[in-house]
Amino acid sequence: MFKRVILFLLALIVVGIAGVFVLAWHPSYEPIEPPAAASFDAGQVQRGEMLASAGYCATCHTAKGGARNAGGYPLKTGFGTIHSTNITPDPATGIGTWSEAAFARAMREGIARDGSELYPAFPFDHFTRLSDEDVAALYAYLMSQAAVSAPAKDNKLPFPLNIRALQAGWKLLFLDQGRFEPVAGKSEEWNRGAYLAEGLGHCGACHTPRNALGAEKSGEHVYAGAFIDGWTAPALNAAQAAPLAWNADELFGFLRRGGTALHGVAAGPMSEVVHEGLSALPDSDIHALATYFAEVNGSDARSAESNARLATLVESGAPDPRARYDEGADLYRSACAACHYNSAHPPALLRPELALNSALSEAVPTNFIRVVLHGVGIGEGIPGAMMPPFDRALSDPEIAAIAAYLRDTMTDKPAWTDLSTRIAAVRQGGSGS
Amino acid sequence: MTTLKLNGRDVSFDVDPETPLLWVIRDQLGLTGTKFGCGIGMCGACTVHLNGRAVRSCILPAAAADGAAITTIEGLDPNGQHPLQQAWIETQAPQCGYCQSGQIMQAATLLQDFPQPTDKDIDSVMNGNLCRCMAYRRIRAAIKLAATRMGEEAGHE
Amino acid sequence: MSKLRQHADDASTFAMSRRGFLIGAAGAGLMLAFARNGLAATDPDKTIAEGAYEPNLWCRIAPDETITVNIIRAEMGQHVGTALARILADELEADWDHVRIEHVDSDPKWGTMVTGGSWSVWQSFTPLSQAGAAARTALIAEGARLLGVAASACTARASVVSAGAKSISYADIVRRGKLSRSYSADELKAMPVKPPDQRRLVGHDTQAIDIPDKTDGKALYGIDASVEGMVHARPVIPPTRNGSNVVSVDDSAAKQVMGYLGHLVLDDPSGTVPGWVMVFADSFDAANRAVERVKVEWTNDDTVGISEKDILDHGAELIADASTGAMVFNDEGVDAAFASADSTLEQTYTTASVLHFALEPINALAFEKDGIWEIHTGNQWQTLILPVLAKALGVDESKIVMRTYRLGGGFGRRLNGDYAVPAALAAKALGKPVKMVCTRADDVHFDSIRSPSIQRVRMAFDKEGKVTAMQHDAAAGWPTQVMVPSFMPKGLNDQPYDPFSISGADSWYTVGAQRVRAISNDMANRAFRPGWLRSVGPGWTNWASECFFDEAAHKLGVDPVAFRLRLLDATGRNAGSAPNAVGGASRQAAVVRRLAEKTSWGKLALAADTGVGFATTFGQERGMPTWIACVAQVHVDRSTGMVRLQKLTLVVDAGTIVHPDGALAQIEGGALWGASMALHEGTTFLNGQVKDSNLDTYTPMRMADVPEIDIEFLPSTETAVGLGEPATTVVGPAIGNAIFAAVGARLRHIPIRPADVLAALKSSAKA
Repeated sequence: MFKRVILFLLALIVVGIAGVFVLAWHPSYEPIEPPAAASFDAGQVQRGEMLASAGYCATCHTAKGGARNAGGYPLKTGFGTIHSTNITPDPATGIGTWSEAAFARAMREGIARDGSELYPAFPFDHFTRLSDEDVAALYAYLMSQAAVSAPAKDNKLPFPLNIRALQAGWKLLFLDQGRFEPVAGKSEEWNRGAYLAEGLGHCGACHTPRNALGAEKSGEHVYAGAFIDGWTAPALNAAQAAPLAWNADELFGFLRRGGTALHGVAAGPMSEVVHEGLSALPDSDIHALATYFAEVNGSDARSAESNARLATLVESGAPDPRARYDEGADLYRSACAACHYNSAHPPALLRPELALNSALSEAVPTNFIRVVLHGVGIGEGIPGAMMPPFDRALSDPEIAAIAAYLRDTMTDKPAWTDLSTRIAAVRQGGSGS
Repeated sequence: MTTLKLNGRDVSFDVDPETPLLWVIRDQLGLTGTKFGCGIGMCGACTVHLNGRAVRSCILPAAAADGAAITTIEGLDPNGQHPLQQAWIETQAPQCGYCQSGQIMQAATLLQDFPQPTDKDIDSVMNGNLCRCMAYRRIRAAIKLAATRMGEEAGHE
Repeated sequence: MSKLRQHADDASTFAMSRRGFLIGAAGAGLMLAFARNGLAATDPDKTIAEGAYEPNLWCRIAPDETITVNIIRAEMGQHVGTALARILADELEADWDHVRIEHVDSDPKWGTMVTGGSWSVWQSFTPLSQAGAAARTALIAEGARLLGVAASACTARASVVSAGAKSISYADIVRRGKLSRSYSADELKAMPVKPPDQRRLVGHDTQAIDIPDKTDGKALYGIDASVEGMVHARPVIPPTRNGSNVVSVDDSAAKQVMGYLGHLVLDDPSGTVPGWVMVFADSFDAANRAVERVKVEWTNDDTVGISEKDILDHGAELIADASTGAMVFNDEGVDAAFASADSTLEQTYTTASVLHFALEPINALAFEKDGIWEIHTGNQWQTLILPVLAKALGVDESKIVMRTYRLGGGFGRRLNGDYAVPAALAAKALGKPVKMVCTRADDVHFDSIRSPSIQRVRMAFDKEGKVTAMQHDAAAGWPTQVMVPSFMPKGLNDQPYDPFSISGADSWYTVGAQRVRAISNDMANRAFRPGWLRSVGPGWTNWASECFFDEAAHKLGVDPVAFRLRLLDATGRNAGSAPNAVGGASRQAAVVRRLAEKTSWGKLALAADTGVGFATTFGQERGMPTWIACVAQVHVDRSTGMVRLQKLTLVVDAGTIVHPDGALAQIEGGALWGASMALHEGTTFLNGQVKDSNLDTYTPMRMADVPEIDIEFLPSTETAVGLGEPATTVVGPAIGNAIFAAVGARLRHIPIRPADVLAALKSSAKA
């Protein structure tokens, strides 16, 4: 009986795989002669450059120390490491021979010019929402760049994930193609924000948790927060853990300047998003994003509660007499308070108030640990201000003591568990989640 | 190559990525007013300003400060006459003096953020600066004196 | 009276009996100097020109009116140069605005160079005053001659000699006059030193000369020393202070550090740094990182297994054995009094290891130049380490000079100059200048810590509650035995002892038959190098005795202040004597009374779980008592055991005060040190080494811990005594007694941790 079940399942899988290979067959677009940069409208190229920036193309398509957009950046996924590809117009190693139609198909369907499947590490599930005009502008910009020869790096994916054709099945299950449709009844600004967030900005790629097959989860999971690149990408929906509501003003300040007094600064990948991505967009677009996410997280409903909490939370920043018997309290007041203390007045932008910082209120301490260990770089968060790394100054148990103390005294959340183990893991490059 | 604006002057140097800013300032750039005390960011003797804000230079990799403006005690005021320095002398705050560069640099950021600091503000912001001679009373008095003076000056403008 | 101090005295107070004083031309200026008596009689100019003087004072009046006073004491926060120069300048009637100080390098001509024991002003006051008076007399005489008036018609003020409308400046006298005088020791003694009410500088406030450079980064400390071509070094500190031997060094990983130059296992003929490996690089940062990558294996002796408890247990055994130790006091009838007592009280007190933790980590730059070894470092006792350096380098002491720098904290750590030795050895081996800087952890692990101590205090009472006998036994590691055994005086039983490790127990209370026994804890002496730490023994002896007096008062049902006053009756050996202890215990009683009055002792209404405690001491030593008393007010949180020190009030009689604001600063700092050691500091010796290594776990007092402080000096024209250490001795027991007053928990160990308070609360609830 058991054997028969196994055989039946095997048969199903074989049929399934065969089906997938059928689905995976796509025509190849003829290679073209790389178009001359001058053949594109300058305004269109400029617009494309802005869009490319706001879509963080270069963030993933540039290796550390490598040429811009020449690929080779390793994306560590739960399935293995995928290297980004060369999107400069080099005919041999880049997209120089891609026609606009081939490019548009890649953006919207995740299919390369030669018909092969692209991994969804490339967020075509978001780019499919882009308008034709924006895709055209992006193409114009990318094809106008200097061509760089940079052959693709081998990806390190285990079998069977290394079979690209299987992506067709993934798309069948998870890809919802189609242009962005404005939502009736919402303001123009909201719709603009939604377009940017869902499409070009692909916010969900980091902030929405993924299922076992690596696809963003849907429904209540949308923007529910996720782990990415050793960081926690906090929830952007109503489940967000920050003590104070992220209203549109706060969101604007954060997305425009890299930090706000009431929420702290953007560190890690989010800092790049702000300073190397969104910085290309005009204020009006940032306002649009802020308007959109303020609704996604329901901050309006929390404003009264936020105001009340602000008053009480800031008080807890005062020197704590327990320093005499609590190691964490003692370390905090000696190593941290000089920069993080705020008086009873509203917190200052350059004195990140930990009582208001989502790193402390997240369910897992990953972001807190990362920032303590590695600091905040001079270009991160609020540019020009920095936090030094404490990785060589404090031991794991000491950071754990500080984390436990702050979590206990500055949030109303349950204690973090296994702090020392998590810190050791983050030190080793893991996420400590 | 890392480049800094140190006390208003452009300086560049080659440095191991791990080398703390403190040792570049002291040994490579020859400004010894910034002191080494604990090496773990917990005594404050090494405090300098990075883009105008106090930071512990003993744990800050110099390479990470690339492009920043760094001010040391030598550059706080061209003539050593910053209101804090004057107040430090007037209250006779220093004993051995070793921590005082850091105390003064940290106090400058304190007064920037809290121009009329309360005792609680001083306790919290200055608590990371150890004074082994325990001249704390006078450091507190000097900060308050400087705050008053700076407040009056600002009022006159 | 300690031999060591007498030795240190040689250069000054005691020397006055056999030294003359010279005034003579030196270049374009005028020099004032002490000289050996025989030389003083000869041509002063010649003697000065030949440098054949051995002054500890050496002052030059330049034709531009600048008066430079050379200071042989180390500047480590006490503004010592300002105080010493003002003593001289006051008698000299010098214009203070033109007085400069210079902290000199080591030279045999200075005599003993030591800065410790709070002795500097006390030792120098009389000779400096007399020298100033002599110079003033000479300048007036010469000024009178130049003005053509009688010397008796002249007065001197602010570097000017005047007679009616005529006047001439000191600078003019130096330029135009022929000032060459010598005074015999007797003549010098007879110099007309001004009565206290005519002092214009001493006792009047001024700004310390050393302070401005400490606010703008200009002050140079040892760690700032540099010389062309120097190699940077950081040591690998062995697992134990003594008995570590290097077996192997693996530096393969260090070779990846750019700038790493190599390592050296030190071969030390002086035996100062056994088991040391020096790591060299082209920058300190590289040396620092290389050390982290060097693996050294050592063999160790049994000290690698010694921990704090072993040391204290051993101390307890030594105390229990009546045959050990040196008797400092051993009055007749002690044992009989205890045998016949109506009641007795006995308690044991302990103190933990304490780190100096001077903020400037120990360091030294050493090199040979033109046949002379130069050691650049901040140091408190050049005379102690010079012979050790000579032995280490295999050269004569005359071939070594110690260059003087500011000290980023002394506190007694830099009395022991052992840290200069490895730099010198390395420089010799490499044939290049070597600058060694220790990291904080290195500094801590090579510290000469304050030894943990254990003490037993007993008292016998008759049926009226009168004290009939007292015995105080103290066992600890003895710095003087380890570093300068020849300086130890002998006890009444002919046993040598470290006076600094028992001072305080020999109190000024009249307690009937008294026995004070000083015991060297040999296990401590082997396990680490015990250090002199700000007040040394009085930091622990008074913890025991002043807590004990409180306990005794409570046992008798007497107010602790009234109890003390009853015993401070200034009779017998406690009557005091000139010049240093005029008035004896009556002056201690006076500070006690003034403090009780000032703090409304016994009349204060305090909040719940808040209490005040009293303690009084005589500073460091009977031979130079600084009378001091302290009231500490604390609040105790019964649920956490946390003690919040709210206020310290101190009354001090330190005789004549030279630099009042500087004196106040010393008492402030000392009092907070005392509080810090009672509540915040304290490490633990663990397996051959102190447990802590940096500020993450070693937690001295910080800004937020500082209590309100009120300090009052009793006016006095008596001998100027020490100020740097007395306050450290009195605050701890005041806090301990305050905790008892607040919540009834009796603490007999410092530092006082919240857990100890909780435990004491629990046991007091049971009792």
